[in-house]
Amino acid sequence: MQKYKSSELSRARIFKAIHEAAPENQASKSDIATEALALLSLSEGARPELLSSDAAEAMIMRIQAGLVIGTTIEKIKTLDSLPTTVQSFLDKYALPPCIKIQDLSDFQSLDWGVISTNSDVREDNSVGLCLAEYGVAETGSFVVHSSPEMPILINFLPLYLLAVVPKSKILHYMDDYALIANDIAKHAKTPRNMCLISGVSGTTDIEGVLVQGAHGPKILHIIVVEDI
Amino acid sequence: MQASKPEHFNLNVKKALAQPDLKGIIRRTTDKADAKRAEAVVNFPEFEKARLQGQKIKDHTIKHMAHYLAEFEKNASAQGAIVHWASTGEEASRIVMDICKQHNAKKVTRSKSMLGEEIGLTHSLDNSDIERIETDLAEHIIQLAGDPPSHIVWPAMHRSREDVIKLFRQFHKDPTSSEEIIDLVDSARRDLRTKFLAADIGISGANFLLADSGSTCTVTNEGNAELTTTPPKVHIITAGIEKLVPSMAHAVPLLRLLTRSATGAEITQYITFHNGPKRINDADGPEECHIVLVDNGRTKMLADDMKEMLRCIRCGACMNHCVVYKHIGGHAYGSVYPGPMGSVLTPHLNSLEVANKQTHACTMNGRCEEVCPVNIPLPKLLRSLRAQSWEKKFEPLTNRLFVKIFAQLAKRPKLFQFTSSCSVLFMRVFSKNGWIRFLPLAAGWTKNRDLIAPNSQTFMQQYKKHQKPKSNRSA
Repeated sequence: MQKYKSSELSRARIFKAIHEAAPENQASKSDIATEALALLSLSEGARPELLSSDAAEAMIMRIQAGLVIGTTIEKIKTLDSLPTTVQSFLDKYALPPCIKIQDLSDFQSLDWGVISTNSDVREDNSVGLCLAEYGVAETGSFVVHSSPEMPILINFLPLYLLAVVPKSKILHYMDDYALIANDIAKHAKTPRNMCLISGVSGTTDIEGVLVQGAHGPKILHIIVVEDI
Repeated sequence: MQASKPEHFNLNVKKALAQPDLKGIIRRTTDKADAKRAEAVVNFPEFEKARLQGQKIKDHTIKHMAHYLAEFEKNASAQGAIVHWASTGEEASRIVMDICKQHNAKKVTRSKSMLGEEIGLTHSLDNSDIERIETDLAEHIIQLAGDPPSHIVWPAMHRSREDVIKLFRQFHKDPTSSEEIIDLVDSARRDLRTKFLAADIGISGANFLLADSGSTCTVTNEGNAELTTTPPKVHIITAGIEKLVPSMAHAVPLLRLLTRSATGAEITQYITFHNGPKRINDADGPEECHIVLVDNGRTKMLADDMKEMLRCIRCGACMNHCVVYKHIGGHAYGSVYPGPMGSVLTPHLNSLEVANKQTHACTMNGRCEEVCPVNIPLPKLLRSLRAQSWEKKFEPLTNRLFVKIFAQLAKRPKLFQFTSSCSVLFMRVFSKNGWIRFLPLAAGWTKNRDLIAPNSQTFMQQYKKHQKPKSNRSA
């Protein structure tokens, strides 16, 4: 689809108006970049303190303290024990042995026993399982990137969501993730979506009362894997 | 509910004050938001430093807006998005409608965006043969009710649970018989789920535009933005040009401030950076992505030296803490943006002639500035708008006459003191037990609340008395 002619005229009008409003702001690109970089140095004293200096521990402590809405967390040694962990989760919520797992060889190669792994997440009562790219201790978040193997909707349609987070990829602060995202962009490999997920789908829109599971998951369980 | 207009502010206020339950309904949400924000700030001792950093980031971006806009356009285009520019709201709305028509869209999902309301997109969609589906729960409620939003974070805060029960029973295919809020939310979940998946086009706003990557960022608690933007074949983003920040690293400090100031939460559940259409072989995502960058009065704010207002990150804290907003609610302002920030924005989005009364609906108690996460000097900006309104002769003749009379009196101390003494005497005639329930020429005040009775002496009379030696005083 082509741009509109009026859009080009508006573009010119907007830039003209900005220049006329502040004609003296004609700094060089490098000066602007230096100024922008200096602003980031202010983050050092302007971030919340973490519950532990170890990023993985800080994330676990944060979630265990109930600070991330609708979220629980546990740690396992290797992916081999993932099916057992998933079965325990299904038992806890009395759910049938049907889940939708992300299409990854790491997951597909596991022995899932009686658990069927290709249920339809469009069904409202479904369970999804995904592998996160990163974890963020500051907010108790996991991060997913869209890709051929990562349908974004697997994180938003199921009522129950399990997210596997490699311990080695848990970052301290959101700023650390921003640096990684910047690096990905430099290599022109930015995915369509980069989602930081910090809890479950919630709303306070009716009389300010918090309800979980507004559109997406109402229960989120994060599984930190030590060796992956 | 018919959308009220900013020029009818006085009438809107009268109507709002006449609603017996409105104040209680508003305060139920705003008081909770106040308390949660205060708690969030206590739990984040670095808040003041973060606030200063946030202010500096926004000021830097505004100062170099042309540079960052060009960067954003270049990088968003490189990601495969088609960038459009709109000088006015009408133009922005027309661009979106044209894209919808070109794709022969029948159903459009929309994730909450105040800019969408500002540019009149909801009306444009409703006046076409396209079905508009609001996906944010609050927007869903007010769409069913036919209401305009009354708050920028909780647009349906003026609606009670009882209202929601009635609306859902009337409009949902499979409504719940329960009156519990959890079941009402579930009813909306069921109703919206198939609509998310069947939409032809998804429209979102943007909380931030990242110049160095061309990304747009949405922030929600419900996850409706991702469900709006992923299933359809086309994703359209409408965003004001002031949403720019240099990079994701610069958005992060603002995200810390935004959620704490809006709801008291440390972070929202979903923060997503959207980078154009789906990549080859991606499992899901739209095939086409359009970004409509909107001016609609923002460059005028730069020119009018109102640039501090362009820092606004739309958290709503100023209205949650505003004594006026808490009494009259959002609809009285007759604008998409109510409260203190709205009273500064609306004159620029509309016109000062039309929206000058809102600038006077401020007690200047300074709470809005105290809680603003990016230090916008809202009282100063409101005072400046009042001055402009006076200079342009937008004030009613009676106001202008009274101010001129006051100015003449103030220049003549003896006459001023004499008039003050007469006023005190006059007011005391109408006082009973220390309060005035009715006062001629001040019915606008006494209609809704009592006025405290003045002291029997004016300030100057008391001052003179206290200046006299003690011996003289007793004489």
